[in-house]
Amino acid sequence: MNKLILGRYFPGNSFLHRIDPRAKLLAALYFIGLLFFVDYFVGFIWMICFTLLVTKISGVSLSIYLKGIKPLIWLILMSVFFRVIFTVGGTIYFSKGPFAISSYGLLLGFFSFNRFILIIIISTALTLTTKPIDLTDAIDALLKPLRLLGISTAEFSLMLSISLRFIPNLLDETQKVLDAQRARGVVFGEGNLLEQMKKIVPLIIPLFSSSLKRAEEMADVLEVRGYQPSKKRSSFRQLSWRFHDTASLLIMGVLTIGVIILNQFPIIEQWLL
Amino acid sequence: MEKNIKQQTSRTPVQELAKMGLIAALYIVITLVVAPVGFGPIQFRLSEMFNYLALFHKRYVIAVTLGVVIVNFFSPFGLIDVVVGGLSTFLVLVISRAATKRMKNLKAKMVVMAAIVVVSMFTIAGEIYFISEEPVSFWFMYLTIAGGQVVSMTIGGFIMYFVNKKIDLRK
Repeated sequence: MNKLILGRYFPGNSFLHRIDPRAKLLAALYFIGLLFFVDYFVGFIWMICFTLLVTKISGVSLSIYLKGIKPLIWLILMSVFFRVIFTVGGTIYFSKGPFAISSYGLLLGFFSFNRFILIIIISTALTLTTKPIDLTDAIDALLKPLRLLGISTAEFSLMLSISLRFIPNLLDETQKVLDAQRARGVVFGEGNLLEQMKKIVPLIIPLFSSSLKRAEEMADVLEVRGYQPSKKRSSFRQLSWRFHDTASLLIMGVLTIGVIILNQFPIIEQWLL
Repeated sequence: MEKNIKQQTSRTPVQELAKMGLIAALYIVITLVVAPVGFGPIQFRLSEMFNYLALFHKRYVIAVTLGVVIVNFFSPFGLIDVVVGGLSTFLVLVISRAATKRMKNLKAKMVVMAAIVVVSMFTIAGEIYFISEEPVSFWFMYLTIAGGQVVSMTIGGFIMYFVNKKIDLRK
């Protein structure tokens, strides 16, 4: 059960692995936001090229990224299908009632499809090259400005750390309970809905009970050691911002300039319409 | 036996923080490990039952939101799911608590919460619409997701009702 790794972290020492998690998180969020400002075909080609470059420098095989797309491919295709058949413009290839397949519809379908795929690939690149614990450190660091509003982020950080710390323990415990239930003859995933539901209750109760008990024990230990949520604390893991982290954010600036320039050139659109 | 597994009352903020962290971890584990309850081709996510926890104690609003945020980091849509899923979960739980504040009957509270959660599924459909910019897919997705959510919340509601009979979730 411990082999089940939270997330999809792929150990490595690529350029992307070495970038500070704060820079990666900010850059990924920025990239996703920027995708919504791309207006034309050439802009999407620019974003696709950048995404392919990211997958290349991540040192992770493209097939791993494509696996991330697989669970959502039907949802994406269905959404793109609707986009294509309900958009009319340019050359009409087929038309029946309110439905049509036109050059403009196909182009907008291409835009939607790419937006879905690029969001998935960039989000996957972030989690493939960043350990979950580094990701939570990055969230903690990026939430620090909230302290200016009087919101304590230290408590949030403690909760994040507790959650990640106890996932392996709870995974083991879940496996033990599942095995115990199976030893008693329970077969999970079989029977009608009511039967399946009944089988889940004896699994959930001991997990809840032990989690709450464990939380109380841990709180006692924290209090005995003098932990006070309101006090300022140092961190065991220190994040260090280096030149290539700044450079990675500057690359986002270059990407934005590219989008702004390419948004002036609806080359394919003019040809199609 | 039942009394033995009743939990002690939380007295300190540290206990509350620890419980929130552990319940968030449990949400993640249940989401990752326990296969969805299914009947034929239709599958229902069991972790949806965690939404009901917010009816028992306000600490679970934060705990479940935190669990959703962490799990969504590793969902295919990643960061978008983190922001949309995290915010919508938090708001739905807060609204459900407020809407059921004066209600005495637990079953009625659970029904109201299920209705709010089902209605709130427009956030996920909206996410798809926002990316695809296609209004038809919004309504198609909304009806599909909301339909699945009705069943998920019904199953989850029964499970959580029985869990609450064994463990006092308000403590």
